[in-house]
Amino acid sequence: MEEKIKSPMGFLLILPALSVLGLLYVFPLVRAVWSSFYDRAGNFTFGNYIKVFDLYTRDIIYSVLMTSATVGVVLAIGIVISSYLRFKDWKFLDYMYRLPLFIPFLIVGHAMRIFLAPHGTLNSLLTRMFGVEELPGISGSWTGLLFSFVWVMTPFATLIILGAFKALDPAYVEAAQNLGASKLRIVFDILIPLSGPSIMVAMILTFVRTISSLTIPLMVGPNKPNMITIDMMFRVNYFNDWGVANSLGVISYLIVMGLAIYYLRYMVAERGGIKG
Amino acid sequence: MKQFSIWKLTLKIVIVILILVLMIGPLVGIVLWSFARRWYWPSPIPQEFTLRFWHEVFAQGRVLDSLILSVTVALITVAFSLALALPAAYGFARYKLPMERILLILFLMPQAFPQLPVFINLASIFSRIGLKGNMWGIILAHTMASLVFSLWIITATFKSIPLELEQAAQNLGANRFKVFWTITFPLAIPGLVAGSIFVFLWSMGEFTAAFFIGAPFIQTAPVLMYTASMGYNMQIASVISIILIVPSLLFMILIERYLKAEYISGLGG
Repeated sequence: MEEKIKSPMGFLLILPALSVLGLLYVFPLVRAVWSSFYDRAGNFTFGNYIKVFDLYTRDIIYSVLMTSATVGVVLAIGIVISSYLRFKDWKFLDYMYRLPLFIPFLIVGHAMRIFLAPHGTLNSLLTRMFGVEELPGISGSWTGLLFSFVWVMTPFATLIILGAFKALDPAYVEAAQNLGASKLRIVFDILIPLSGPSIMVAMILTFVRTISSLTIPLMVGPNKPNMITIDMMFRVNYFNDWGVANSLGVISYLIVMGLAIYYLRYMVAERGGIKG
Repeated sequence: MKQFSIWKLTLKIVIVILILVLMIGPLVGIVLWSFARRWYWPSPIPQEFTLRFWHEVFAQGRVLDSLILSVTVALITVAFSLALALPAAYGFARYKLPMERILLILFLMPQAFPQLPVFINLASIFSRIGLKGNMWGIILAHTMASLVFSLWIITATFKSIPLELEQAAQNLGANRFKVFWTITFPLAIPGLVAGSIFVFLWSMGEFTAAFFIGAPFIQTAPVLMYTASMGYNMQIASVISIILIVPSLLFMILIERYLKAEYISGLGG
């Protein structure tokens, strides 16, 4: 352990930040859980949850499937890019995969609306290349949504996985190479197993960011079925129905709960929390 | 040297084109739309170009107002976020804290759980105390949400500064406060700048909190962009998009050194 000062001063230093977090994060969070059990008149009820399962069971399943599909594709692409960049230094790919990192999700949504529309820029290119008249657009369908999710989530998962691949002791890889292992074997037998925790973190953060994204499904998603974030927004904006919206929120918390606990424990315990 | 192979070269060219289409392709449409007066299918580029929509942005009006509002919100958010994160980061980096694990978990929670429920409940709380439809409501929400990554970046920076430097100064008789301002703070400035840029960019592009808390009276640039895109006003939406993307791409190159995945996970909204 490094030397740390033991003094109440330390607590005083973090107190302002802690108060802001408590007041503006923890309080609304607790209120969300609390008010999901109350109806408009202020009586305790499970009615909101019953309504959620009546109206939104399909959307909940759809959200989980959509998110899982995104996570699967993102991890697959992320591992391919990371493996390639682990062995070869290709600047072009290195810059290209990171391009979406800083583009706000909302703008990605707008870009995808133009790119993936039936008469969008992608189809404009494809119809010319293949000499066909019309192609269906994929914006406003689950494929378009999946494409957009993958587009924004991949760079960030790749950043984590590539970081783990590069941090591994090169001796393992060299030893395997000397014994004649192919690159594919090295990836599957050495790089991936030894980077397990980092891949898990990439998976969790991709899952949480996808299932909690409002803007991407708002811009490119189909009208039906909806991601649960869209349902929450509609409940608040069109029905002024906070009970049901909050029940949906609580359900989204329950869906990520196991993953979130793993992530928090991993970040705090194994890596000593906040780290450089 | 490997043998030159026409197949390998072709494969590489195909892959490069595929990557370009997939990564740059979505952005090309925005740029074209921002200059389009008329653009009907199946023309690959707009039939008529115009600078009108770019001009509109810099003339008086809704678009300019929303951009000014966004920049104001982002700047004040950076100030608040730094004011809170600077002491807290020093506390985490240098002091032994009671219940450190629980505190860390608390500060990490906004990263590990969906934020939308928090934002809509914050909007409802703010509506009772007059902070809804108010710039300061958005600033408070942005400060809370961006605190997580400014705190992380700055803590990491403080931890990277060797303790020996501070101890040497203390041995020479400087008090802790003086040590902080003359030794630690100047060395931490690159980290502070990186943290500020993160917070600024995040706040500029943030939609969800700005949408729920800003309604019904004020619209930040992303909210106006959303309204424009949904109303098929593609030109205005595209112009705002480009204005929001360009600084992000520039800063991405500038702060490459600070590109740590955990910080970025909060970006994008």
